[in-house]
Amino acid sequence: MDKILRINMEAKGGPVSSEGPMGEYAGLGGRALTSAIVSKEVPPLCHPLGQDNKLVIAPGLLSGTTAAMSGRISVGCKSPLTGGIKEANAGGQPSQVLARLGYTAIVLEGKPEDNKLYKVFINKEGVQIIHDNSLSMMGNYALVEKMISEYGDKISCISIGPAGEMKLAAASIACTDMELRPTRHAARGGVGAVMGAKGVKVIVLDDTGMKMRNPKNPDAFKEARMKWVEGLKKHPVTSEALPTYGTNVLTNIVNEAGAYPTNNFSSGRFDGASNISGETEAETEISRGGSATHGCHRGCIIRCSGIYNDKDGNYLTKQPEYETVWAHGGNCGIDDLDAIAMLDRLDDDYGLDTIEMGATIGVAMDAGLAEFGDAEAAIKLLKEVGKGSHLGRVLGNGAAVTGKVFGVERVPVVKGQAMPAYDPRAVQGIGVTYATSTMGADHTAGYAVATNILKIGGDVDPLKAKGQVDLSRNLQIATAAVDSTGMCLFIAFAVLDQPETFQALIDMINAFYGLNLTADDVSELGKSVLKNERDFNTKAGFSKEHDRLPEYFKKVSFPPHNTTFQVKDEDLDNLFNW
Amino acid sequence: MNLNLYIKEGAIPRFFQILQKGFTMNVQVGCSIKDLFCGQFGVTSEYFEGRVQTIFLDGKPVDDANSAIVKSGSHIALSGAMPGLAGAILRKGGFYASMRSEISNREKVKAERLKEGVVFFKLFNLLLKDLGPHFLGRGLWIKGYDLERFFQKQSDDFWTGFCSAKLDGKDLFLEELISMKWPKRQIFLQVHFCE
Repeated sequence: MDKILRINMEAKGGPVSSEGPMGEYAGLGGRALTSAIVSKEVPPLCHPLGQDNKLVIAPGLLSGTTAAMSGRISVGCKSPLTGGIKEANAGGQPSQVLARLGYTAIVLEGKPEDNKLYKVFINKEGVQIIHDNSLSMMGNYALVEKMISEYGDKISCISIGPAGEMKLAAASIACTDMELRPTRHAARGGVGAVMGAKGVKVIVLDDTGMKMRNPKNPDAFKEARMKWVEGLKKHPVTSEALPTYGTNVLTNIVNEAGAYPTNNFSSGRFDGASNISGETEAETEISRGGSATHGCHRGCIIRCSGIYNDKDGNYLTKQPEYETVWAHGGNCGIDDLDAIAMLDRLDDDYGLDTIEMGATIGVAMDAGLAEFGDAEAAIKLLKEVGKGSHLGRVLGNGAAVTGKVFGVERVPVVKGQAMPAYDPRAVQGIGVTYATSTMGADHTAGYAVATNILKIGGDVDPLKAKGQVDLSRNLQIATAAVDSTGMCLFIAFAVLDQPETFQALIDMINAFYGLNLTADDVSELGKSVLKNERDFNTKAGFSKEHDRLPEYFKKVSFPPHNTTFQVKDEDLDNLFNW
Repeated sequence: MNLNLYIKEGAIPRFFQILQKGFTMNVQVGCSIKDLFCGQFGVTSEYFEGRVQTIFLDGKPVDDANSAIVKSGSHIALSGAMPGLAGAILRKGGFYASMRSEISNREKVKAERLKEGVVFFKLFNLLLKDLGPHFLGRGLWIKGYDLERFFQKQSDDFWTGFCSAKLDGKDLFLEELISMKWPKRQIFLQVHFCE
């Protein structure tokens, strides 16, 4: 994995690919690589859908190896949703396959002069870029079936649905899972719209004949890998909670905490929470012959996903995650798991971010387009997006646009991106991350990574008022580093609680690349990623005024705790001073 | 009204829906949360400290189960270890507890003499299979409406796990149980294993 594949979509005579060495990007992977390329090569003031934007798809540093949990893939560009830099990542098979094919990144550049649609096929023989307008407006599920019929079932796919082709700002990029279903999405920030603007419908990867990537120090790598797996298997979150219930296990406790945004962020408790909780979801899946414990890529040992069948026992979608269940569920007053699963299926097929769409439908309900709790109406609204009707195109551009069009004040976005499933008035530390993240409101931008081990920025006293800003800063730095490894963020608890497991992660990287990284070096990597992203955003026109929550979070109290967001602006402004 | 159900072990997890939605028990109040569970319910201290990772008292995250005092009318919810930043923030005494300081339980109440009281409980996730059968066997109060809705929602496979039932000491046949209209008031439910 030592070369970058660039595809110039506007070359004379049709798209042309070229391969080159890593050069100045050597040693980078995942988010570190996507953000480095975007910040260096994309003019910050360019139009996100224009020829100067680039779409960078990069496996993590350990993707394609035998390291467990190393299957995340990062997608970077200038975001059509936020106007700033974007990195969205996904699970599924493509990260492992792309890495084994030897690529650290695919960079889509330029913009086709015509309206032609292309598919890209990559295997050990090389790269083919094929014009195929028959794929136009095809849903991700049908598209992948077609690719299987053409290229066989040893492939994995990176694709867009109709939403990406329509260049909607909520459009995602789908990655296929182990069963070759398009269920894993780099969803946030409209990355699918950028792929659509490049005229690329699908990238088909086939690593037949390729081998696992080999470490420089096999014995040390093997030893670290075993400690890594041992650590994940002994922690109750990674060995029990996530495999048994998936991420939706959070519904009940976030609801109990009064932090569960309900009916478009109007209260923190949802009466129907237990009907859509992870516990109920798992029970439903098992009773219908699906599964509550399933990995999204080979090499995943946490297996936080599942298979959701309909009432007749037929596959409907993968196990909807917590954020999805919240967005289409409690946030819209809907407590019907089957309806939520259908919305998830439609999102995956159209190629849409479930968080953005759930938040958008919540805003639309606030505007009176439907009643909170009306699941059928929510499905109809989403189908409008799939059809590309005028209403659908408004909705497909996200919560901020929808709020403007329909005159809604309560629009839960930062930098144009919808907030995920934790209200910042109840959990104020997450609000700091929502406000200041380079990505717009993003819960994964400051994940519970081992900042207490890393000691980023020195020891933090979490009990002091200033601690929330300090903690958020450190979490964002650590998360940026982990996003660069290709590791799933759900490793967080094991590395948070078990220093030896965190060390095993560093040891794996060192053994694989022949390095001597320390925890401090990991911190520096995280800082450099954030610096690249922050610099890009500044040049794109962002200022400290963009690092704010919407005004109503400071003014409108949030039941049941009746709190408002209390963190001062000047404290938020200090977040990036390290 | 007092309903005793005799159910095959495999059907017990279906009752966890009731436990996560919430139920009421008569207990001795005036003690700490830990004393309630360890002293009155027989939960071991080791289990409580190790397995119970997140505790809510009246919807507020608790950091010290030894000092949070249970009163009559209290709402208590317990959870095992949770993923994600939210899990890290909400768990008792966690490194990130300050990130939810606005909603943390900070009530300074001293333990008092024990007295009879009514407490509302919820059990979540990993604790359901650990503690659920114990609470179901011990008996709990739930609203008649919730019980009726619970029975109505069950599919045929659930009823294959049904052995027998007694309502106020008298036999209740399966057909009667399925079609029963329960009053709005609280029903005392006990669920036992059968062979």
